[in-house]
Amino acid sequence: MTSSAPADHSLDAVFHALADPTRRALVKRLAEGPAMVTELAEPFEMTLAAVSKHLRVLESANLVQREVNGRIHRCTLIGGPMREADRWLQDYSAFWAGTLDRFSDYVKKEQP
Amino acid sequence: MNEIEITKVVPAAPDAVFRFWTEPEHVKQWWGPPGVTCTEAQVDLQVGGKYRIANLLPDGGTIWIHGEFELVEPPRKLKYTWALGLDRLPAETVTVTFTKVAFGTEVRVLHTKIPDPSMAEGHRDGWVGCLEGLAEFAARE
Repeated sequence: MTSSAPADHSLDAVFHALADPTRRALVKRLAEGPAMVTELAEPFEMTLAAVSKHLRVLESANLVQREVNGRIHRCTLIGGPMREADRWLQDYSAFWAGTLDRFSDYVKKEQP
Repeated sequence: MNEIEITKVVPAAPDAVFRFWTEPEHVKQWWGPPGVTCTEAQVDLQVGGKYRIANLLPDGGTIWIHGEFELVEPPRKLKYTWALGLDRLPAETVTVTFTKVAFGTEVRVLHTKIPDPSMAEGHRDGWVGCLEGLAEFAARE
């Protein structure tokens, strides 16, 4: 049994972090480039504290890095974990897409 | 987020499509992506009933997919748990819905609770192996 580390590198943490629409929107915005927490909060009808809480979830999944310089908090997206999660899901998609294609061919053959 | 959804329209009525999807003699003939051969299929089609499907991979190895039915509503819906490898508990979920459309049936597969690849260690090679088979097949077509 291991206690959970502050920065969880597992993809479960990535999946969990991305399961929320606000956090997905934050990731989408950060994909365009680094941003201040205040900038990130702007489009949302929520407090800075609430946005900060979402960012902490993204940080703990190792998706976002936050640099603190005095009162300025700057966030940067870390692409690696997300790419790995995406590739893993693509493997599943490819499996099912191939399976359904074969199923469709079989149905055509059985039921002309 | 750790879920995928795939749909495909097949040219037959839901009744027939449901049978093709669930009856072992049919499953053996179509199951798996290109490159994978289904050598055995056992299906106890009732809530609480189990199924297992042998997947012969292009590298010669066999991986069993197995699980238990949670919902059996012919010819519209199926829900079952899923695991890759008999040594693993089926923790993933697959929901298949069959919807009548103009030229047949839309088959929708929703695969949820997809595990972390680090936890699927050991099976990933086989999985990737069968996908390489898929890529080879696609390249030949």
